[in-house]
Amino acid sequence: MSITPETAEKHKNDYAVVCCRTEAGTVIEPDNLEDPAIFADLEDSGLLSIPDNCLKIGEVLGAKLTKTIDSLTPITADIVEGAKALVEEVKEEAKEEVAVEEVVAQPVATVGNAGVLKLHIGEGKDIDIELPLGFVGGAVQSVQPAVVSEAVAGGKVEKEVDEEPKKVRELIKKHYKIDKVEFGPETKIEGTTLYIRENICEEAVKVDPLVKSIKIDIITPDKYNEYSETIMDVQPIATKEGDSKLGTGVTRVLDGVVMVVTGTDENGVQIGEFGSSEGILEENIMWNRPGCPDKGEIFIKTEVVIQEKTNMERRGPLAAHKATDIITQEIRDVLKKLDDSLVVETEVLEQIRRPGKKKVVIVKEIMGQGAMHDNIILPVEPVGVLGGKPNVDLGNVPVAFSPLEVLDGGIHALTCIGPASKENSRHYWREPLVLEALHDPEIDLCGVIFVGSPQINSEKFYVSERLGMMVEALDVDGAIVTTEGFGNNHIDFASHIEQIGMRGIPVVGMSFCAVQGALVVGNEHMKYMVDLNKSEQGIENEVLGCNTLCHEDAIRAIAMLKTAMAGEEVKEAERKWNQNVIDNNTELIEEAYGIKIERVENEQSLPMSQKRKEKYS
Amino acid sequence: MKYKDKIIYMEGIITKVEDGAVEIDFKGRLGHIKVPLRMLITDYPLKVGQEVGLNMSFLEVLSPEVNEHYLSTLMRNKRDKEVEK
Repeated sequence: MSITPETAEKHKNDYAVVCCRTEAGTVIEPDNLEDPAIFADLEDSGLLSIPDNCLKIGEVLGAKLTKTIDSLTPITADIVEGAKALVEEVKEEAKEEVAVEEVVAQPVATVGNAGVLKLHIGEGKDIDIELPLGFVGGAVQSVQPAVVSEAVAGGKVEKEVDEEPKKVRELIKKHYKIDKVEFGPETKIEGTTLYIRENICEEAVKVDPLVKSIKIDIITPDKYNEYSETIMDVQPIATKEGDSKLGTGVTRVLDGVVMVVTGTDENGVQIGEFGSSEGILEENIMWNRPGCPDKGEIFIKTEVVIQEKTNMERRGPLAAHKATDIITQEIRDVLKKLDDSLVVETEVLEQIRRPGKKKVVIVKEIMGQGAMHDNIILPVEPVGVLGGKPNVDLGNVPVAFSPLEVLDGGIHALTCIGPASKENSRHYWREPLVLEALHDPEIDLCGVIFVGSPQINSEKFYVSERLGMMVEALDVDGAIVTTEGFGNNHIDFASHIEQIGMRGIPVVGMSFCAVQGALVVGNEHMKYMVDLNKSEQGIENEVLGCNTLCHEDAIRAIAMLKTAMAGEEVKEAERKWNQNVIDNNTELIEEAYGIKIERVENEQSLPMSQKRKEKYS
Repeated sequence: MKYKDKIIYMEGIITKVEDGAVEIDFKGRLGHIKVPLRMLITDYPLKVGQEVGLNMSFLEVLSPEVNEHYLSTLMRNKRDKEVEK
C-alpha cells in the first residue's frame, strides 16, 4: 500500500521501501513507498529484509530511480540518483524550528523564581517587561513542557490550586476472626469457631431445580493437597450491619475463612469447561492474589452438581452460585448478631475527593457475553445474589460505582473461563487499583465505571460509545481502563480506550496480554499499556488468579497515567512481549518515588503439578 | 513444535450456539471444534448455519508421554458418568 505525504513526513527517518513494482526513471513520491508501520510484519513473514545501507524516506523523496525494481525492494543509494543526505535535512529542520520560535508573536510569560513576571514579546522588536507578580493577579500561569528522558516514572503530577480534600463517605469494615470451621447441629459462631449446620445442603439444593446435589468440604491448610473440581469463584463472607447499603455504613466480615464455589454438571463436566483449574488445590491456586484465598485460610468449598449440559448455559453456573449463596446467607445472618467484643480489627475506608488534583476515573471492563461470562451488579449483601442485576440483563451498559461500593462486594463475579486471568468476586473486594488510586494524594479518583463486554461487535461499540459519552460528561483529566481475561473482549477494550482517547483524555490500558493474550486490535490511543502477566511463559497457565491485576500493576498504571497526564512521553512498547519492560518500569518507579515495590510470585513458587511439569518444562 | 509456521485458512459452519460456547464443524469433514464465546469475533448475532473463517495449522503431538494429570481428570469424569448410570 502506498502512503500519503503526511505519513511520509511522519516517517521520514524510517527506511524507504517501494510498495509496488517501480520503473526506472520514476521520481519517488510517497505514492511509491510502503508504510513503515508494517515493516515488522513483513520482516517476520520473510517478505522483506532491510539492508544496512537502505536509504530513509526523507532521503529518497524526489530522487530518481535508475533501475526498475520489484515491489517491497528497499531503496539503496546505488539505484537512485539525487538522494538528499538526511543529516543536512535534520540540520535544516532544526534551523527551521529555531526560526519558528523567533517569530512567535504571542507573548510568552514565565514566572521566575524571584516572584517576577517576565514578559517577552517577539515580533522582532524584543520588548522585555518586568513587573511584580501581584500586578497580573496570577492570571497568567506558566505551563512548561516537561523534560522527557525516561519511559515511565518521574511522572509527578504538577501541583495545581490546593483545595482541601473532601470526604464523601466512609465505609467501616469490622473484622471477626475465625480459626476453626466445623459442622454442627446449627449454624453459629462461638468465639473464633464457625459451625455450619450439617443438613444445610438439603435447603440449598431446593433453591433451583437445576441444582441436583451440593456438598460442602471444609478445607483446612492440611487439606490443601486434595483434589478439587474447578474453582468458579472465591468470595468473602461478609454482611451489612442494619439497613446500610453497599459502600456505606458498616460491613462485618469473617477473616481466615472464604467461600469457594466449585462444581460440575451431572456428567462430571466442569462448569465453565475449557481451561479449568480442577486438580490438587495447592498446585492450582496462586495464593494471596487479590481474588484468591490467602495461604493459611480455611475454605468452605461447595461442590455443586447441576443438571447435565447446563454447564454452558446461563442458568447453570448461576444456579451453582445461588445454591452456595444460601449457605453464605445463613452464615451472614449469624454474623449480623455477633457481639462487638469479637471484633479483632476495625478498618475505616474513606472515599476522599481531592479538588484541584488531576481527576481520574477507573473503567473496569467485565465479561458480558453470556453464561458464566456475567456478573451480578450491586446485590443487597456483599457478594450476594439477591437484589443484584446481572450485567447481561442490563445490556452491558456502563454503570457508575463509588470506589467503596466496589470494595464492599458490589460485584458478584460469575466469570468462569481462563482461571489465571479471571477476576473472582474477592478480587473486587480488595481491588488493588481502586485502593491505590483512592489513597493516592496526587490524584482525585472520581469513581469507578463498570462496563460489560457483549458478544457481538455492534453491541460492543454501542456500549463503548456510551462509555465515551459518560467519561466526556465526567470531564476527567485521565482514565485507566482494565479488563480481565482475553479474547473478543479486547475489541471493546481497544474501543473504550479509543473513545476516551479521542476526547483528548490520556488513558492507560491494563490487561493480561503477554504471549497468549496478545491484543487482536489496536488504535493510536493505545499508547499507555500495562501488562498484567506474571506467568513465566506469558500464557494462561491454568493457575487461579496468576495473571490478575496486583498491587504492583496498580502502581505502574497510576505512575504511567501521571506521566501521561503531565504530558511526558512514554516510550513505545516493543513489538513482542518482553518481561524486561515491566521490570524496568517497576525499577524506574522505585527509583523515582524512592519506594520498594514488592513483586508477587508466580506459578514457579507452587509445588509443580504433573500437568505443568509435562506441559511447560 | 516443528511445523508451527504452516498456517492454513480454514472455514467452518456453526452447528450449535450455547450461552457460553459455540460449536463449529470444519468444512470438508475436517473436524469439529467447540470454543468459548469469548474467543469468537462476530459482527452479527450468532445463528446456527453461519460460516466462520480462521487461520490454523496442523496439530502436533508434543511428546510420546501421557500427561497423568489430564488423564486422571478424564478418567475421573468417565467414572463419575458410569457411577450415575
